[in-house]
Amino acid sequence: MQNKKEKILVVEDDGQIRKFLQFALEQVGFTVSTAGSAQDGLSQLVTGQTDLILLDLGLPDFDGLEVIRKIREWSEIPIIVISARDQDKDKISALDQGADDYLTKPFSTVELLARIRVALRHRDRLDGHKSETSATVGELTINFGKRLVYLKGEELHTTPLEYALLSFLFKNIGRVVTTKSLLQELYGISHNDDTQALRALMAGLRRKIERNPATPRYILTEIGVGYRLVDE
Amino acid sequence: MKQKRERKKKFWHVFLFITILIGMTLVGLLFRTVGFPETNIVLLYLLGVLLISRFTGGYAYGITSSVFATGAFNYFFTEPYYTLSVYDSSYLITFAIMMATAFITSTLTSKIKMNAEIAREREAEANALYRLTSRLTDVTEISEITSTVVEMVSNLFNCQAACLVYTDLQEPENTFIQQQMKGKQIRREVQDPHALKHQIAGLRTEFNVGEEFHDWPLYGRDTILGVLRIPNSDVSFMNDSQMRLLHSMIESTALAMDRVKSVSERQRLKEEATQERYRGNLLRAISHDFRTPLSSIMGTSEMIMGVTDPGADTHMLANTIYNDAERLHSLVENILALTRLHEGKLVPEKQLEAVEEVVGAAIKAMANRLADRSVKVNIPNEILLVPMDAKLIEQVLINLLDNAVKHTQPDEEICISVVENKVEKRAEFHIADRGKGISSADLPYIFQMFFTSQSDKKEKRRGIGLGLSICESIVVAHGGTIKAGNRIDGPGAELIFTLPLQIDCLDEGETTNND
Repeated sequence: MQNKKEKILVVEDDGQIRKFLQFALEQVGFTVSTAGSAQDGLSQLVTGQTDLILLDLGLPDFDGLEVIRKIREWSEIPIIVISARDQDKDKISALDQGADDYLTKPFSTVELLARIRVALRHRDRLDGHKSETSATVGELTINFGKRLVYLKGEELHTTPLEYALLSFLFKNIGRVVTTKSLLQELYGISHNDDTQALRALMAGLRRKIERNPATPRYILTEIGVGYRLVDE
Repeated sequence: MKQKRERKKKFWHVFLFITILIGMTLVGLLFRTVGFPETNIVLLYLLGVLLISRFTGGYAYGITSSVFATGAFNYFFTEPYYTLSVYDSSYLITFAIMMATAFITSTLTSKIKMNAEIAREREAEANALYRLTSRLTDVTEISEITSTVVEMVSNLFNCQAACLVYTDLQEPENTFIQQQMKGKQIRREVQDPHALKHQIAGLRTEFNVGEEFHDWPLYGRDTILGVLRIPNSDVSFMNDSQMRLLHSMIESTALAMDRVKSVSERQRLKEEATQERYRGNLLRAISHDFRTPLSSIMGTSEMIMGVTDPGADTHMLANTIYNDAERLHSLVENILALTRLHEGKLVPEKQLEAVEEVVGAAIKAMANRLADRSVKVNIPNEILLVPMDAKLIEQVLINLLDNAVKHTQPDEEICISVVENKVEKRAEFHIADRGKGISSADLPYIFQMFFTSQSDKKEKRRGIGLGLSICESIVVAHGGTIKAGNRIDGPGAELIFTLPLQIDCLDEGETTNND
């Protein structure tokens, strides 16, 4: 399935989950190494060639958020957080700390594999350093050079803010973009209180690109966290 | 007993009166024999009057003694001796001045004495009150207060006082405590608590006179806390100052009872809050720890399904495991939603959210359970922002959708629509299906938790309850309403919940709901 066998490090204290994740990932052709603690995970990360980390937030020795911070000090390796924590603020701080994505337990394996692929693709794009001139999802295309959006091949009129929103989502295609980072990007404000303008902006954009804004095909809502542009 | 003592005291006073007058006369006779002038004898009698006023009680003795002293001086010491007549008319002036001086001396002395007595009484009162309050400040139980008060009142007024306590429900207790001889206390039964309660409640004076007792109600800040009882025969011997003291003691008793009650009430509230928090923590910890094993059960069964042929038995069995694990998962999510709600003391953290986003997220979360069933969604064309805790309303929608899926056939339509009710300023969410609908027997119980409907002995109703009752709690906490019914336009059930659009309107809803 993959050209070369990509290596995934699973840092998770629960043995059963480690076992089934290893099985599931090896099934689809990844190489998997596992660690039961943050210490073990970090030392494996330093010594071996790793392409992606699946990280449980509730580790026995270190707080998962602390681990993300440590890794981000020296590495841009994709991190997907797996957590039983329900609290939105944990997810948001994990994402703000530099995690690429998160999944809440229990999660579907299909969903996990999709997220892994998105994260790896995102890394490849960054590695390629070629700034793409356009991107496409389904029938939706954005041209960064011309600052234009096309739906079903026809030019779609967007306001400058709508374009900024869409292009930011396209640059992070497949990944969750937190409300906070969107507010920062669009309005230059970092506090999380004034989400009303963003909600209204999103509703307007959805009415232009989605057939039914309540069952969106392109931009999904992650309640309490942010938005995600699907990567097909 | 008291009368006897009074008589003895009178006797002693009269005895003193006579002895002092006779004594002074004898000393005067001695003076005359020795040849001292009469002036000394006059002064001697004045001293006698002073002594009588000082050591006997009241003005009467003093005034009488001044008359007698003047008379005795006239009789024994002015010529002619041993008659009440005088030769020298200047003695009449001596008598008048002597009489006046004796009179003034006696009244002044009596007055000083009475003032001293009043001061002593006051001091005794203050002392008794101080002893009572200082003993009551350390008390932590109502029963301790009653026994202390009964003991002190009994000792102070030399009676057999008693005290009856009212319960928290404003009813008199069935027994009361009474002081007996030798420091003993006993519990006695109240003859007719209801009649007593009635009498005390209708009281217009300071106390009620019953068959055996005078009853003084102990008024707390806003209720009657109890009754202090003193036997009728003992009350009749109490004077005004004793009554005054008794009333002060009753007041400080009521204050102490109030204090103990409010302390215990605070304690009870604190314990309740701790318990509630403990329960919430436990539930959250349990649901949280459920998720890890559930992930591996669901993940593993999903993997088995992935690697087996869809027709194979193994695939079917793995699918059963997966479905049941998923049911468990939805239960865990519901319990978490409930603890989330309770943590915020039933006031959700509200932010303006677009309804389409919440509806969309709920449908996406249900994707697995919906399988290939389609859900028809109608939302208003204009953007509708509603203040809500999106995570909780998402859970409501998930539960309602799940319910619709469970109670319909795969080919029957499920429909969600949201409309803005501009008149009532509310957002209305309709979740309708084309199933059999809800039977009229089930309708009244539909929002109850399943363990309550179990008492109906209808096993089939188990399982519908929890999800819907959580929906109700969440919606009500938002200041909204929820109702279930059957569709008018053909078969099927319809659940409708509303959320207020305005923040101020929300607050009103919350306060009424909290009541």
